[in-house]
Amino acid sequence: MRTVNLESQKNGTMSKAKEKSAKKRVVEEDDDQLPIFDKDVTEKKAGEEDDADLSDSEESVFSGLEDSESDSHDEEEDAEEGDDEEDDDDAVILDEILTKSSGVETATEPPATDKNTPTDIRNTVGNIPMEWYQDYPHIGYNLDGKKIFKPIRNKDELDEFLDKMENPDYWRTVHDKTTASDIRLSDEQVDLVHRLQKGQFGDVNFNEYEPSVDFFTNEVMIHPVTNRPQDKRSFIPSLIEKEKVSKLVHAIKMGWIKPRKPKETTPQYYDLWAKEDPNAILGRHKMHVPAPKMRLPGHEESYNPPPEYLLTEEERMAWEQQDAEDRKLPFLPQKHSCLRAVPAFSRFIHERFERCLDLYLCPRQRKMRVNVNPEDLIPKLPKPKDLQPFPTTMSLVYIGHSSLVRSISASPTGQWLVSGSDDCTVRFWEVNTGRCMKTLEVGGAVKSVAWNPNPAVCLVAVCFESTVLLLNPGLGDRLVVSSTDQLITSYEPPEEDKEQAVTWALSEGPEHDNGHRLTLTHPKAVKQVVWHGKGDYLASVMPDNSSNLQVLIHQVSKRRTQNPFRKNKGLVQCVSFHPLRPYFFVATQRYVRVYNLIKQELTKKLMTNCKWISSMAIHPGGDNLICGSYDCRLAWFDLDLSTKPYKMLRHHKKALRGVAYHKHYPLFASGADDGSVIICHGMVYNDLLQNPLIVPVKVLKGHQITHDLGVLDVTFHPTQPWVFSSGADATIRLFT
Amino acid sequence: MSQLQTRFFTDNKKYSVDDVPFSIPAASEVQELSNVINKLLEAKNDCLVCQCDLKRVLCVLQEDVVEIEYVERFTAPQPEECMMHDDWISSVEADSEWILTGSYDKTARIWSLEGKAVMTVAGHTDVVKDVAWVRRDGLTSLLLTASLDQTILLWEWNSERNKLKARHCCRGHAGSVDTIATDPTRTKVTGEEEEVEEPPSRPRKKQKTEQLGLTRTPLMTLSGHNEAVSSVLWLDSEEICSASWDHTIRLWDAETGSVKTTLTGSKVFNHISYSPLCRRLASGSTDRHVRLWDPRSKDGSLVLLSLTSHSGWVTAVKWAPSHEHQLVSGSLDNLVKLWDTRSCKTPLYDVSAHEDKVLCVDWTDSRLMLSGGADNKLYTYRYTACETDAGA
Repeated sequence: MRTVNLESQKNGTMSKAKEKSAKKRVVEEDDDQLPIFDKDVTEKKAGEEDDADLSDSEESVFSGLEDSESDSHDEEEDAEEGDDEEDDDDAVILDEILTKSSGVETATEPPATDKNTPTDIRNTVGNIPMEWYQDYPHIGYNLDGKKIFKPIRNKDELDEFLDKMENPDYWRTVHDKTTASDIRLSDEQVDLVHRLQKGQFGDVNFNEYEPSVDFFTNEVMIHPVTNRPQDKRSFIPSLIEKEKVSKLVHAIKMGWIKPRKPKETTPQYYDLWAKEDPNAILGRHKMHVPAPKMRLPGHEESYNPPPEYLLTEEERMAWEQQDAEDRKLPFLPQKHSCLRAVPAFSRFIHERFERCLDLYLCPRQRKMRVNVNPEDLIPKLPKPKDLQPFPTTMSLVYIGHSSLVRSISASPTGQWLVSGSDDCTVRFWEVNTGRCMKTLEVGGAVKSVAWNPNPAVCLVAVCFESTVLLLNPGLGDRLVVSSTDQLITSYEPPEEDKEQAVTWALSEGPEHDNGHRLTLTHPKAVKQVVWHGKGDYLASVMPDNSSNLQVLIHQVSKRRTQNPFRKNKGLVQCVSFHPLRPYFFVATQRYVRVYNLIKQELTKKLMTNCKWISSMAIHPGGDNLICGSYDCRLAWFDLDLSTKPYKMLRHHKKALRGVAYHKHYPLFASGADDGSVIICHGMVYNDLLQNPLIVPVKVLKGHQITHDLGVLDVTFHPTQPWVFSSGADATIRLFT
Repeated sequence: MSQLQTRFFTDNKKYSVDDVPFSIPAASEVQELSNVINKLLEAKNDCLVCQCDLKRVLCVLQEDVVEIEYVERFTAPQPEECMMHDDWISSVEADSEWILTGSYDKTARIWSLEGKAVMTVAGHTDVVKDVAWVRRDGLTSLLLTASLDQTILLWEWNSERNKLKARHCCRGHAGSVDTIATDPTRTKVTGEEEEVEEPPSRPRKKQKTEQLGLTRTPLMTLSGHNEAVSSVLWLDSEEICSASWDHTIRLWDAETGSVKTTLTGSKVFNHISYSPLCRRLASGSTDRHVRLWDPRSKDGSLVLLSLTSHSGWVTAVKWAPSHEHQLVSGSLDNLVKLWDTRSCKTPLYDVSAHEDKVLCVDWTDSRLMLSGGADNKLYTYRYTACETDAGA
């Protein structure tokens, strides 16, 4: 009901009668208006505060509110006049306010509007943004449907300012946008505003503390409020409840409902560190590293140090010459007569900074240094003396060659030894006496010799320049010698002659008497010959980086030659046959490739990590391989294990020239340019899980170093634990 | 100077002295001890002049009396002859009159004890590896030569007419024949060969030939060694002993051809020798030791004694035919050493006449030592006990 006042505040120009009737109508619509009222109050306040510059939006809301009210007033104006009597008081008050305000207004407002319609100028356009009327001379229509025109001259800033300065009522003047007129609020209106601002009721006479009368008292009466008899149903037990209870009882009996768990009385706390690893906590505490402590000041820090702490002139010079890090003391001790004479510490900031650095750079973690006895780190290897037998001393020297002996090979019986030398001879030696049994001149420096491993064949392959010569030394069993000759002469040439890379020629005449049997003329210089274990196949190596014709495999019984490789994979150093399976090993400068000769494919490629392979030997079991290289290393490969070396041995000081495995004993040997032969125990176990055991057991010295070359080839005796080595000093030595 | 209580004793009754302790200077040398004993002997029997040698010193501390055994002293071997060959001497065997040598020039030679070349036995087509006398009937001798050409030739040689006749050729070996031995009754011969056969057991053969017909085949083949057989000998007429590169010495029954005992060593055996006097087997092996074995022992591999002084392979050993304690060994270190088995630490004498490897040694009944080697020289040494020398 009190809301009405607001509208009336603004409509200062309203006529009293109209105002009165309007008030009455408003009372009727009280319910509807209530929410708007709240808004209105706030808006009003805002409007008051922002007197000077009212923003458009606020204005529009403000005006719209008023319009709606005015509309309703208009419609019901005639019919319901003087209707309500209950609200008379209010109406009277309002009337008073309005009359006063209107009275004031008439005095202050510009007369133009006053003259024509002194009672009411109301815009009927409704709650619309007034900008819509920007371009028109009018801003709406009054109750009579006449245009309400805009004032001719708008108030500009200057007018506004002047107004503000000069008009004493400026503070109570509000601008009505809908009518584009200023309204001066009356005292009552201002008073009302003030009251509302304070949160008081708009009506001055309203007593908010009237005594209240309760309808029901809180005291217990002896008589009931109503005297109605109780229903029958309040006396008989409820069937529905009975049913519910029986259901619950049944459920309890069946154990579907469990009694509530007793509440735990002890307080429950969440264990924040429950999930943390206890060791970690322990570790964290253990790992606590306290900040480094500052050193306590000593005598030299004293303001009056004993004279021995004072630096002499020379010491001072030296101190100044030194780097800051090298100085024993970071300052110069100085003597002062009394504490008062001590100046401020000039290096204070510096010292703090260094302290910060100390803290910043101090280790955050304790390094657990394990005290390890270095001897424990050495793998437990058996002692060499437990690994007997192996060659230990030089027993025989085979003297006869006049130049360096490139290659040696022992006969399968172990009775003979063949050696090829740069003096263009091949010599045959009796092993147990060192007697040279035979000397054969060949046409060039012998690069490689190989005794046929088949004991039923007596053949020696010798290569020099571009020739591979098969010799029958005529040593050993006469039967074998003659059967070998028979084997060679029994060859029948095939019907169609195929073009071969190598020409096979049978030796005749004096050459035949010397032991020459077959001559294989290669297109290029041959470096190495090697027999297959069965003794029928022979491989020869012609190192050449630019062609695929580097390795040839010859079959002696059929006098056939084939080139197994189509592509050139690098400079071939040496080749070898697998002792048991049809594999073929080809060592290039850095890799060893294993080919399957039957499937004709590459099976494995071993990375040696060496710069230049010099020699290679296959373990008689066939699963292990050693490679010697010119960079002083010996690589042991376990073919089942990896393509990387199982072990690298760097025992030699200079380039390795030859490596060899023993056929029966777990031994291997390597000869190098430092003139020594190193014997290693290399046990290969049948158990695949056990890695080979490699123990160096002996360094054998004896060869003299000639032209920076020491041992050129090593080979083992086929049955005894003896090793032969040939050297650049033109000797062959037997170590037993 | 401190004095030492000593007591002298000897096995030789001829030179025994009283069993009383003597006090001698502690720093006495061998020579001084010898003088002491000689003086004692002179006092007892002043017509005897003798030299004794201190051989072994036994200290018996609790009694504070040192017992010294003294034995008859032998003079150092006196080099007598040097017989030049054309090539390495692979083997030598001497009897009381003649020396037979085999050489790498494919011949065998017969020399007189004085070093005169008597006969050259040429017939082999390859190196002669071993020689042996078989029998002598007056002026006619039978001799054997074994060669690398896998044959053994039996020759008949008449010393008076100096006529040589090849009687038989024994074939059967599949490798070079490295060693032969004739049995004590001089009727059978054993040859040894080096050969490789492929079967896993890798048997080796030894053969015995009866001297009938022109070409002989083995009477018996002793198979069992799986590497080259380096040396054979007859222990008696029923037993054959062989040493091999497979680290074993085997004793065979000559009748049945079966192995009786196997002595296992750790190194390759190069040569063995047997002395019927002390019933010991001496072996020379590649580990520089001369080892003594008892071939009768049942456990088989007991080394009685090791004689260690050589620095190279021991290629030849030979017991003295008339002395049970002495043996001679030749080695690849160019030395011939004379041993007394009672002093195993050091040899009696080192004979360093050879300039190259010593390949064979022998000893005649007449105390003549022979050694041949790779320097093509056969040396003979006169080696006798001093009493015979003293008589001279």
